[in-house]
Amino acid sequence: MNYNHNKFSEKSLSSIFLLKLSKVDWLIILSVIILGFVGVTSLYSASGGNWEPWAKNHLIRLSFGLTLMLILAFMPPNLFFKFSVISFCLGILLLILVKFTGTGNVQRWIKISGINFQPSEFMKLALILILAKYFDHISRVQLEKLTTYIIPLCLIILPGFLVISQPDLGTGLTIILLGLAILFFVGISMKFVIISILIVTSSIPFIWNQLYDYQKNRILVFLNPEMDSLGSGYQIIQSKIAIGSGGFFGKGYLLGSQSRLNYLPEKHTDFIFTLISEELGFLGSISIILVFCILIVSIMKISFRVVPLFSKVVVFGIGFLLFLYLSLNIGMVCGLLPVVGAPLPLISYGGTSLLTVLIGIGIVLSINIHDKKYYEISNIY
Amino acid sequence: MKNKSQKTLEKTISKRFFLLSIFKGFVVGAIGWRFFDLQMVENRKYEKLSDENQFNYHMIPPERGRILDRKMRLLAGNMDGFSLVLNWDKNTNVDDVIKKILTVININKKDLKNFNYKINSEKKNISKQILITKKLSQKDVSKLAVRNIEFPEISFSMTKKRVYPQGIIAGHITGYIGPYSEQDTQTKVNPVSSWLEVGKTGLEKFFDSDLRGKFGRKRNEVTSRGHVIASQIYEDTVSGNDVQTSLDMGLQAFAIERFERGNNTLVSTENKNIKKHIIKTKNVSYVNKEYVYLDKKNRIVNPQSGSLIVMDVENGEILCCISSPGYDPNIFSEDLETNKWNNLKNNSRSPLLNRSMSGVYPPGSTIKMAVALAALEGGLIDFNTKFYCNGSKELGTSTFHCWAKDGHGLLNLAEAIEQSCDVYFYELGLKVGIDKIALMMNKLGLGQYYDVEINDKSKGVVPNIEWKLKRDGLKWSLGETLNASIGQGYILTTPLQLATMVSRIANGKSSISPTLMINNDVNRFEPLKINPQHIEFIKKSMERVVTGKNGTARNYKIGSKGFEMAGKTGTVQVVRISEAEREKGLIKNEDRPWQKRDHALFVGYAPASKPKYSISVVVEHGGSGSSIAAPIARDVFKYIFKI
Repeated sequence: MNYNHNKFSEKSLSSIFLLKLSKVDWLIILSVIILGFVGVTSLYSASGGNWEPWAKNHLIRLSFGLTLMLILAFMPPNLFFKFSVISFCLGILLLILVKFTGTGNVQRWIKISGINFQPSEFMKLALILILAKYFDHISRVQLEKLTTYIIPLCLIILPGFLVISQPDLGTGLTIILLGLAILFFVGISMKFVIISILIVTSSIPFIWNQLYDYQKNRILVFLNPEMDSLGSGYQIIQSKIAIGSGGFFGKGYLLGSQSRLNYLPEKHTDFIFTLISEELGFLGSISIILVFCILIVSIMKISFRVVPLFSKVVVFGIGFLLFLYLSLNIGMVCGLLPVVGAPLPLISYGGTSLLTVLIGIGIVLSINIHDKKYYEISNIY
Repeated sequence: MKNKSQKTLEKTISKRFFLLSIFKGFVVGAIGWRFFDLQMVENRKYEKLSDENQFNYHMIPPERGRILDRKMRLLAGNMDGFSLVLNWDKNTNVDDVIKKILTVININKKDLKNFNYKINSEKKNISKQILITKKLSQKDVSKLAVRNIEFPEISFSMTKKRVYPQGIIAGHITGYIGPYSEQDTQTKVNPVSSWLEVGKTGLEKFFDSDLRGKFGRKRNEVTSRGHVIASQIYEDTVSGNDVQTSLDMGLQAFAIERFERGNNTLVSTENKNIKKHIIKTKNVSYVNKEYVYLDKKNRIVNPQSGSLIVMDVENGEILCCISSPGYDPNIFSEDLETNKWNNLKNNSRSPLLNRSMSGVYPPGSTIKMAVALAALEGGLIDFNTKFYCNGSKELGTSTFHCWAKDGHGLLNLAEAIEQSCDVYFYELGLKVGIDKIALMMNKLGLGQYYDVEINDKSKGVVPNIEWKLKRDGLKWSLGETLNASIGQGYILTTPLQLATMVSRIANGKSSISPTLMINNDVNRFEPLKINPQHIEFIKKSMERVVTGKNGTARNYKIGSKGFEMAGKTGTVQVVRISEAEREKGLIKNEDRPWQKRDHALFVGYAPASKPKYSISVVVEHGGSGSSIAAPIARDVFKYIFKI
């Protein structure tokens, strides 16, 4: 990783800024703003047409996050390269700390100067950065050796299990899946992939025994929601009712009966998409999924284009993280996946995940702006 | 400066990138398909489920129509009742609340049992209103309302309770209502409203759809925790229509009192001697609590049982229709206790039976007008045909007796009716034959149903040759004709049929049929098609029953000119009297056990000169028609004409 800044040294700071500005991927920023706006309006509806208690906070967090995102976008990617190891170590430290000082009946949050936040969310970014740095650092020849993957696997499994033991199966699985996807991306051999899939499937009974009762229950109820229609299956059943009753055009904004009459649990966090589907119908749901797809595809395009391995892996990781968030959350609310507790990025109420996603996109934007190829092309003009 | 390995790396990454993109596309496609399935394909199903979540539908019962008599007096109406309701949710300590309530008011055990059952079967965690009791008096309501701070969990709701202010007097006519059950499926009501009350008998049943009205519907919007946040009526209730009957409750009340008394005397139970007497008497099963009846021999007896009907001979309106013993329909408006019900059901005098329309009796001598008319219409006799009565009639090996042991001598038709000579009618019967007699009986309204507004009725029996062949496969014998000629044997009639018969004779022109509705349309009846001269002759003969010097009812004249009644008595043997018994001399009626005594009947009309009302009186095991049924009829007419 070595970016040559000398070519610009003669130019004034403002002209550099303007040049950078022209490189910004506006489609990404537009999608993020649209989704954030959808989040605010949905939360306004979730509280029955009130700014309190969620919509206002979300708006404030969103403005803060967007600012942070833009600031990061103009930072040189070197910065993230440098900070990757530190951030990972810090993440692990916080995850261990949360075990002891965590608040809430499940130890997921840590309190720093009055603000609750979830280290497991930041861990996702830290994992992407450290894996990218590792693969960039390793001699490129060694990527074909299996032993190369021992350290990354440890890097994945350590935070993964720390999070699962909080207990937070959803986030833990997201971290592990994210890590594995990156390993797959950089070219781990297909043989190994197939063998490890076999190992995992054969170890399912063992994992099953390690799960908490409520986690087992969630999976059982996922397989048959009617098993416990008033207990654990309630969420899935009511969520499906809400989505299904929305129809093509929906019941209308602020008019979702399922959410208004409290049939939807967690309607402001994990089940926010159910509320949107009920009120805005198939049209609204598909449009929002489409915006997400545009965002993810734009990110993936950058990943495809950039040359340095670090940048490539980081952008892919963040894109894939968004995809994981999206598919886990929406798959969960429509009953395709078990209820594992995954927020919908940018829309669900919750500061940490919002900030994580915006920081991640900030990094992507930064990599895009400072892409070498771009400079070269831009210099022609 | 790309080396070979770097190129392969880029190749691999591109390949992996491609594979992962396909995977992502597949996942997004699956989600899209899922939403299409949920929101477009199965939209209807989920819309319905959502609606069920959002709304709670309540049926609002309409107010049931009233039943009124001809002077708009109330036979059946509604009274406000109060129900006690528990606003239950899973945190309620039910036992504590009930204990607290019981310190203030009493709740009957059956209601508490039902309530506990309901609570225990409540599995959902959703809060709900659960009925504790329906029977809350005004006093209980105020007692609880004053202390409502202590009872935040309970609330009251208004309900309508069916009341029958006339009580026992018209119980058989009004009938009663009860909870809807599967048996009432012909009424076609929504099974959701299973607590709906429908008419079970009497007018309540016949006019159920008119009286019931239309249910309204209320839609409550409820949250997942069962709190009602909005409520709207979306179908209005339509109250039931009132039904006005032709009954006159003043007459009904007088008649039942007079009928039940018979020839006995009414004594208050306050009397000390009577109190002792009551304790000793055991076979009296139907004692009113305030008074008892003493017969001529100072025995405590039951009220007379049987039926009395007063009909308008011009339009068929039933003014009075009693059946004794009766029951109080009000007891069905509350939850009927089992022993009360069993008492009614198993009582030897069957108070639940509506004798006026469902009870069947041999008509006895009251049938003689029909036999005489059959003979006259057939041209087999004229007004002066005479027969000799020596007290009995021999037919083959058997002897058929006249009620007068020594016979009536030579008499004509008018005299035979006046004195109710049996032998004369044996001769007539033989001359006319059973088939012609049966035809005349049918013409006069016997052996058939009427369109009267009560569902449960009996058809009675009018026997003929074919009937017997069909029933028993046996030939009709002449002896049976003789029995039929004096209203004994197979022939059975209801008191309403007897009243109809006498109304048709009294009217003379139309085939009057009975109705419980006010109906001024006289033209709805078909013509009677009997020679008016013959009718006139029979009517004159019936007058002689009361006014003639040998008339069987000569002791019970109304005694007011222009209002005199005409009629015919009847005494029906219940047990066969053997020749040996006859030799020994008959045991007096009142000395026989009640069940073996004769039925006493009287049919008649008044005023004789210009018939207006007809009457039929059947006193079960009352003795002779002339001694008990005729005076009752006379007193009822006296009441009607205010003499």
